[in-house]
Amino acid sequence: MSIAHSWKSHAFKFAAASIIFAAGHGLCRAAEEPPRAADESVTQMRAEIEELKSQLRALKDQVDALARAQAGTTTPVAQVPAAPPPAPQPPPAPVSRAGGSTVFNPAMSAVFQGIGNGSFNHNRDGDGFSLSEAEIGLQAVVDPYARVDMFIAFGAEGEAEVEEAYVTFQTLPGGLQAKAGRFKDAFGKWNLLHNHAFFTVDRPNALTNFFGEESLTGDGASLSWLVPGTGSAFVESVTDIASTGNDVSFNARRRDLLLLEHVSSVFTLTSNATFETGGTWAKGRGGPSEALTQAIDDAGLTGTVVPSDRLAANLFGVDLTYKWKPVQFNVYRSVTLQAEGIASRRRVESLQPGGFLTRDTVNSFGGYLYAEYQFAKRWRAGLRYDDSEFPDDDSARERAASAVLRIQPTEFEEFRIQFKHTGRNDAAAFRFDGIQSDNEVFIEWIPVIGAHAAHKY
Amino acid sequence: MRTLRSLLILILTASTGGSLLVGAAPPKKVNVVATLPNLASIAREVGGERVDAMSIATGLQDAHFVDPKPSYMVRLRSADLLLVNGLDLEIGWVPPLTQGARNARILPGAQDHIDCSARIGVMEAPSGPLTRAAGDVHPYGNPHYLTDPLNAEIVAAEIAEALARKDPAGAQEYEKRRADFVKRLHAAIFGPELNDLVGGSKLAGLALTGELDSYLKTTMVDGAPLASRLGGWMGRLRPYAGVKVITYHKDYSYFARRFGLDVVEFVEPKPGIPPSAKHLVEITERLGRGDVKMIITRPYVEHRSTDLLAEKSRLPVLTLPLEVGGAPEATDYFKLFDLLTTQIAAVAAGG
Repeated sequence: MSIAHSWKSHAFKFAAASIIFAAGHGLCRAAEEPPRAADESVTQMRAEIEELKSQLRALKDQVDALARAQAGTTTPVAQVPAAPPPAPQPPPAPVSRAGGSTVFNPAMSAVFQGIGNGSFNHNRDGDGFSLSEAEIGLQAVVDPYARVDMFIAFGAEGEAEVEEAYVTFQTLPGGLQAKAGRFKDAFGKWNLLHNHAFFTVDRPNALTNFFGEESLTGDGASLSWLVPGTGSAFVESVTDIASTGNDVSFNARRRDLLLLEHVSSVFTLTSNATFETGGTWAKGRGGPSEALTQAIDDAGLTGTVVPSDRLAANLFGVDLTYKWKPVQFNVYRSVTLQAEGIASRRRVESLQPGGFLTRDTVNSFGGYLYAEYQFAKRWRAGLRYDDSEFPDDDSARERAASAVLRIQPTEFEEFRIQFKHTGRNDAAAFRFDGIQSDNEVFIEWIPVIGAHAAHKY
Repeated sequence: MRTLRSLLILILTASTGGSLLVGAAPPKKVNVVATLPNLASIAREVGGERVDAMSIATGLQDAHFVDPKPSYMVRLRSADLLLVNGLDLEIGWVPPLTQGARNARILPGAQDHIDCSARIGVMEAPSGPLTRAAGDVHPYGNPHYLTDPLNAEIVAAEIAEALARKDPAGAQEYEKRRADFVKRLHAAIFGPELNDLVGGSKLAGLALTGELDSYLKTTMVDGAPLASRLGGWMGRLRPYAGVKVITYHKDYSYFARRFGLDVVEFVEPKPGIPPSAKHLVEITERLGRGDVKMIITRPYVEHRSTDLLAEKSRLPVLTLPLEVGGAPEATDYFKLFDLLTTQIAAVAAGG
């Protein structure tokens, strides 16, 4: 999000959109085309005749003027020769702004990430090159009241998934805006990013540990309110009510709704710098941890001891972002500092030797710090520090340091290389095949084609 | 119940008192937010005291790459009118701003979202298939149309219409101010003498159809062609018609057409693509012919390439603003063109 992508080629949109949608949308409309086409050509001919007429008039006047000039008469001031009528409207631009049946097709874009990653110290199954994700975006206004944004992601194995698909109601009164459908929950900053818009190749460990391999995403509704009377500061409250399939911090039962409240403020410090603070509270229900299910299974008590899947689970988040972008040279230099902290407070059950369950509360923490400096139009360098526990285990802890270099030949392409060192304590290493220390390298190439909507600030 | 009633009375009293106070206050100004300073400047010319006009970008910013900061959404929330340059110039930052502003009237396509390019005769609209292999192309044509001051007349009409619709009580004043602005604009473009003699509208009409030059050459007044009476911005640059220049970005097309500049090359190999060493060598070779008089660049682009070209070719580099506020002297749309024409004429004369 640090870069304000601007995707300009509507022509691509028209071309690509027409191919994909010709079968459905275009052909259905074909029956209606002839009268419209005829109307258009008549209008066009009329316009051309009008244009020729005015050109003829202009020529005639010019000939008259020349004739008078050749007669050698000095025209008195009062008789300045008549000129053609002023300011005839210039002809419309050749690229029509109403481009036939494709004009209502959504803006289409496609992004993919080719990732190569490998560990220096260990043979891991996931190492190697892969097309980690391809995303198709369809975005359009529905009617005067709503717009739809839809992103379909194809994973490394080819499975397709609706990453986000929501309708936004933009014309509500009182500074309100509502969203419904599937969307990334407004937890902090990074959770809302699509993978191709990350600062680094991988997600910060805290997000992976607390939300899983994907963002915290919900199916439901979201209401956002732009708080009035705050001067030039932007203060927004977002309330999400959603079913989440997240089984890392929550129980993934869709009838146990996730309630989330996010309040953020963006302050303009100088014309070159902004500071954003945000706070999030997400409340859901938690289920048994993998370790507990395993322990019950090991004790041969499966079916006898039934752990609760409706335990209290709360997540709290804090996010801070400082951005420096000199207005005059904002495409050449910038600094981004971002930090997020996530705290989880959840009830957990544990199996006692007597074959009964006791309840306890686990408080665990995670977070990251990211600093990025853009030192040339196409070059950015960043450092990230991760420190995170796990929502079901506050004794497991991993820390990581990453360095990333981002190269953007244009706004439509990015190449990244990242080095990452991870260190884990015993409890955390237990979750990662016993790997305590790992050094990894990631390489990523992200091209974007089509009309991808500009990203948020 | 009683508390409720007293509360109701209290609210009623407060609101009546409030409206009385408002009644005494001066009428609320029309809150105009423009994306770019040139549009805001024209809105101030047309709107006068009835209008509060501000722009999101400053003149020192590249209009293609403004950051859609949330504070702009706060400003847009209470905007009565949003003036945009259009032709996709602001595609990277206006959509996120209007989507976040919670102001349904300024969403694209809504009544108070004013696309000032609507009636402009657009140059360089690409025909045929478009591809980003050509760089950052604008699919609807060159969006930098306000570098031709005659287009300001069209924009002023657009703005006056929108203001009159928004504030019908001021309709007459807006029309009066618009007419006055156009009159001053014509005088500034053609010079007061010719303007009074022939009439600004007629001159503007001739200029728009490309017939002004032949008209001025062939029309004799008091034994001399009218061309000798051309003053103003056009008069200032007329002696240097056809002067060859290099510009950084393809943003001088309208200016060049109006004032007779010949833009032979761009520092950017393709729009939005920074110059490679190879391209700079090619330009240096082109400059070797010795017919180019100056390199024109922008306050917000890198200096390295232009400095290098200047050093190799010994040509002067002019850093000229495209927008009001892009230089300390360019405080409004008139002063902007005073600055542009004066500086270009000075360098062209010096060469």
